[in-house]
Amino acid sequence: MFFLFIAQKTKAQKEHMFNSEGNICYIRYTCYTQNNNYENLKRPFIFVIADEGETAQEAFEKDITKDLPQFYNYMFVYIPNRGGSGIEKLKCVEALINLLTYNYTYGSANLFLQVNDKNIKQSDIESVHLNKTFKNVRLVEKTDSTGQVVQSNTITEDFKENTIAYDISSEDDDDDKYGTFYMEEDKKTDATQNVKAMKTYFGAPQVFNFTLTGVIKDRSTGEALPFASIQIKNTTKGVSSNADGYFTFQKVPTDTTTLTVQYVGYEKMDIYLTPMVNKKNFIIELNPSSQTLQTVNIIAVREDVVLSKKEDVSVIKMTPKKLEQLPNLGERDVMRSFQLMPGVSASNESSSGLYVRGGTPDQNLVLYDGFTVYHVDHLYGFFSAFNSNALKDVQLYKGGFESRFGGRLSSVTEITGKDGNQKKFNIGGDLSLLSMNVFAEIPIGEKFSSVIAFRRSYKGPIYDKIFEKFNNSSSSSSSSSQPTGGPGGMGPRQQEAKVTSFFYDLNGKFTYKPNSRDIISLSIFNGTDKLDNSTSFSAPSFGTSSSNFSISSTDLTKYGNIGSSLKWSRKWSDKFYGNTILSYSNYYSDRDRSTERTVTNSSGEENASSSGIFENNDLKDYSLKSDYQWDLFNFSQLQFGVFGTYFDINYTYAQNDTTTVLDKHNKAYLGGAYLQNKFKLFKNRVQFVPGIRTSYFETTKQLYYEPRASLSINVTDKLTLKGATGKYYQFANRVTREDILSGSKDFWLLSDGNSVPISSAIHYIGGISYETNNYLFSTEGYYKQIENLTEYSLRFNASPGGVSYSENFFTGKGFARGIEFLVQKKSGKFNGWISYTLGEARNKFDVYSDTYYPANQDVTHEFKIVALYKYKRWDFSATWVYATGRPYTAPSGAYSITLLDGSTQDFFTVTSKNSLRLPEYHRADISANYKLLKGAKGDKKRREIGYIGFSVFNLYNRTNTWYKQYSIEEGEVIETSVNYLGITPNVTLSLKLR
Amino acid sequence: MKNCISIIIQIWKKISWNKLFRGIVCLYLLSFTSCKKEETSEFTDSPIIESYLEPGNYLTVKISRQIPFATSVQYSEDNLNNLTIAVEHNNTTHTLTSLGDGNYIDSSIIVAVGENYNLSFQFNSKTVTAYTYIPTKPVNMTQSATEITIARVDSSSGPPSGGFTMPDPIEINWTNSDGSYYLILVENLETTLDPIRDFGDNAPPGNRFRKSPTNLAVEEIRSMEFQYYGTHRIILYHVLPDYATLYDDNSTSSQNLTNPSTSIVNGYGIFTGLNSDTLYVEVKE
Repeated sequence: MFFLFIAQKTKAQKEHMFNSEGNICYIRYTCYTQNNNYENLKRPFIFVIADEGETAQEAFEKDITKDLPQFYNYMFVYIPNRGGSGIEKLKCVEALINLLTYNYTYGSANLFLQVNDKNIKQSDIESVHLNKTFKNVRLVEKTDSTGQVVQSNTITEDFKENTIAYDISSEDDDDDKYGTFYMEEDKKTDATQNVKAMKTYFGAPQVFNFTLTGVIKDRSTGEALPFASIQIKNTTKGVSSNADGYFTFQKVPTDTTTLTVQYVGYEKMDIYLTPMVNKKNFIIELNPSSQTLQTVNIIAVREDVVLSKKEDVSVIKMTPKKLEQLPNLGERDVMRSFQLMPGVSASNESSSGLYVRGGTPDQNLVLYDGFTVYHVDHLYGFFSAFNSNALKDVQLYKGGFESRFGGRLSSVTEITGKDGNQKKFNIGGDLSLLSMNVFAEIPIGEKFSSVIAFRRSYKGPIYDKIFEKFNNSSSSSSSSSQPTGGPGGMGPRQQEAKVTSFFYDLNGKFTYKPNSRDIISLSIFNGTDKLDNSTSFSAPSFGTSSSNFSISSTDLTKYGNIGSSLKWSRKWSDKFYGNTILSYSNYYSDRDRSTERTVTNSSGEENASSSGIFENNDLKDYSLKSDYQWDLFNFSQLQFGVFGTYFDINYTYAQNDTTTVLDKHNKAYLGGAYLQNKFKLFKNRVQFVPGIRTSYFETTKQLYYEPRASLSINVTDKLTLKGATGKYYQFANRVTREDILSGSKDFWLLSDGNSVPISSAIHYIGGISYETNNYLFSTEGYYKQIENLTEYSLRFNASPGGVSYSENFFTGKGFARGIEFLVQKKSGKFNGWISYTLGEARNKFDVYSDTYYPANQDVTHEFKIVALYKYKRWDFSATWVYATGRPYTAPSGAYSITLLDGSTQDFFTVTSKNSLRLPEYHRADISANYKLLKGAKGDKKRREIGYIGFSVFNLYNRTNTWYKQYSIEEGEVIETSVNYLGITPNVTLSLKLR
Repeated sequence: MKNCISIIIQIWKKISWNKLFRGIVCLYLLSFTSCKKEETSEFTDSPIIESYLEPGNYLTVKISRQIPFATSVQYSEDNLNNLTIAVEHNNTTHTLTSLGDGNYIDSSIIVAVGENYNLSFQFNSKTVTAYTYIPTKPVNMTQSATEITIARVDSSSGPPSGGFTMPDPIEINWTNSDGSYYLILVENLETTLDPIRDFGDNAPPGNRFRKSPTNLAVEEIRSMEFQYYGTHRIILYHVLPDYATLYDDNSTSSQNLTNPSTSIVNGYGIFTGLNSDTLYVEVKE
């Protein structure tokens, strides 16, 4: 084809000719771009077909959308209306586009067509196949009374740039092979709705009340999205995808229904069903919202980092993708982020485990790809064991949780690992002042995907700071009084400490999808902390004696988790789905804080003796479980399953190499089944989930029944009432070993049904939430009654001479109650939330007190603010946390008794249990992240390849007390406040291939 | 308080980005009382009782106070020398006489084997009680030797060459059919102490040493334990479990704060009965 190119400069626009006069494809068209860059092709193109009788220049002058800031980098091409029939008017347009975009170099995903001639019909577009060429076509049918074209409010959305699509070759645009058309919807369409114009079918529906099944995925990685919500637009009727991203939507009214799909951290999307779509394996792909860099009109794009789920009681959902927006201390951390929500305590820097509603971390079930993780702390608890690069989805059930979870009294954290990018190889990493973190996602063929993530700390400034905090407690003021005797004569001896400490973790997940029904995945997790603060000191022979003398002081703590799960999920039918998980989880902790004295005498004989603390805890959990869901009716989903666990838990505690204080070995089977049903009644306004869980515990040879129920009522679309209750048992507990002098520690034990009984709790929860497009107001109250708590204390001599330490387990009960408030601004450049929790956690152990006293984790007031702000390529955030100080017990005085031999023995008295409070905890953190983009500067939308993050932890350097330590030296009591971290800046560089 | 204001200002600065939340925060700040609270240390003024009841002696009790760690502690009004201390014995209640310095005595009670004694008095608005009984005198106390020969050691000349033979320890036996606790105390009775070893720069040890409480029926006294030559008295005490716990290794360890389990309610210390028998041993050069 012969064509000519003549450019005439008129203001900013350029007029061109396509072919020469007389040619059948002769078009005088006008190009215009705001940024005056006419060279770049990697940009969206909007082609405008002029109204009846208009020239390109007239259409250009009339168009008011061309100067919208959203279209700054767009190329507008105005094509004259050449008259004739609809088809004639569209002739040669395809050829022109082909030319201008150099044969669709960057695909057709960013080509848009605006038709200003109302006589051009959809059928005309289809007959010349322009629907396959353009991503979106807007037809104008409606004119107002003056005959003016009605400009749509949603043109910016219709013609929104898709930056990802530039990297997909045109073959990959098969998703769009049906083309996308958009006709003006009725005027009632909410302007704030971020409607992705995808309507392609305008005919009459052909199927009614059918069942739609499919899977929800991330568009860029192919990763299945668990627990995403899919609803019929503008109604409350909907379902959620399951843990593998599958959904079954029964009784979809027609095959032309519009569905709304949402997932936290992703763009909300409308799906226009057509009779042509696959009803059995419908694939919905969502775009991660973080990839959208646009600065305007993001009102309804969900920016929430965390989301309180509307229909479920006490459930918070988070996508690790967005975690980087929150301030962090070297690592993005899911557990830390949950601590910013109401009902989850934030004042414990030393525990990544969650204190949920007056519960302790061991009462929170942590499931990682189906296996239980028993200890989630890295580096004294300042970081959690979960590498956010390997995580896809995290849900926290703060209480009243469903029957499918069990074995814990308080809450459930369900973590789903990434399956890995299923489309392209990806690699990335982070470097912070604390650790290095690398991950790789390797797909092999269409059926296999894998992700491997590795993280290791290095002795950077943050690591050292935390390590020293723990190992050098003399950093604060100490006061002493002198009850008896003289002052100690000897000062502490300075010794060289050679420290080798680190933590690492490794996550791997390998997923195989042989067909559309089965998924087999192997997930592996290993994390280890080694904290070594050992010193050694030796003295050569002195005097005339030929004996050598050496002391080596060991302070070694090594702990970690090894876990693995093999999961097989199968979609047996559209309505029946099941998965089976075989898992192994091991938590081990080895603590050796001892001094070994070796004396070598003249004849070369060595005499060694050790004393100190030797603590060893080893927990093994072998589990097999199967969960099924069966969509019986459109209003009822039956969920049931069976589970079996074999526990093998050991704990030994010794004070020197001959005295073992405690030595517990317990093994037992726990097996059972559950049944629950999710009813959705009254047009989905009411969700009622009754259920029962039954467990048989080998040790006690008893059955335990746990009836549970939850109810949520959507009074209006915005107002929801919620309630839940249930009974909960816990068979493996972390028992607190009370230690007033050097801080209490805890260890895992399996109930023996006797000195360590099976603990139980009853929850009562009620709440109201009011949710608009932009705001969420939510309040929930809870009351938890707990029986058979266990503590271990050596403070009380159960028998004289202290021979039987196993008697030092004490049983008590407790309760926790409170009320939580949350106000969240969910969207916009400025978003965030404020939360307040008024709580009370009380325990009663007869051995400590005959009345209820504040539990160790009791926090009365807790107030948190999280503010996030987006400005161009920057993400700013600030958080502030205030919490009442935690209770503690301290030595209160001393006395001495003269023994029969005339010597005196000193004794110390303590305050009544937990009658003192540490100073209140408060802290502000800030962060700023700058997005790193790939691509030329002219392209406004470029791919994000990482970020540089700056954050400051504890901005105003508040001295928060962790715990108080007491040492008794020569009859003196020295009090030392062990403090949390002061101001700690951090820089993180995060890079990824895609 | 200055701190509190700065916190509030900081909250306010953070809040101001959204007027909507201001109302809520105002409400919250009104109830923001915990800011003003200062840490208070709790100290309970409980009395310390010291009393060993030995057959043939008068019943004596010493009352004292704990030494608090906190500086700003208020003791109760009670005067240690003006307490009404009652001892119930054989269904008769006796009131003890104050001797000053917290010491009390009842000269009408001679402690006797097998008898029960219940102590009670008011202190810091609480009733303090304790009880004990007097155990039996040790039975069949025997010793493996009545004398032991220990070579004098001169540390300035180093350890003796060619080695020396350790004398056999002295074994003390008695009858203990019920697993009771016994305690051995060894005391040098010489007026002038003749040390076996040269103590160098260290302070010379006392003339007494003891063994740990045991619930066996045998105890060994090794030659190394003797510090001086001369006549020693070996006292075997039959003690009650509460006294035995005073010797618990844990009580002064830095890992916990164990208070001896005693019969004392609302107080600390020891109120215990004991009984003893005595043998003698001669340490020779």
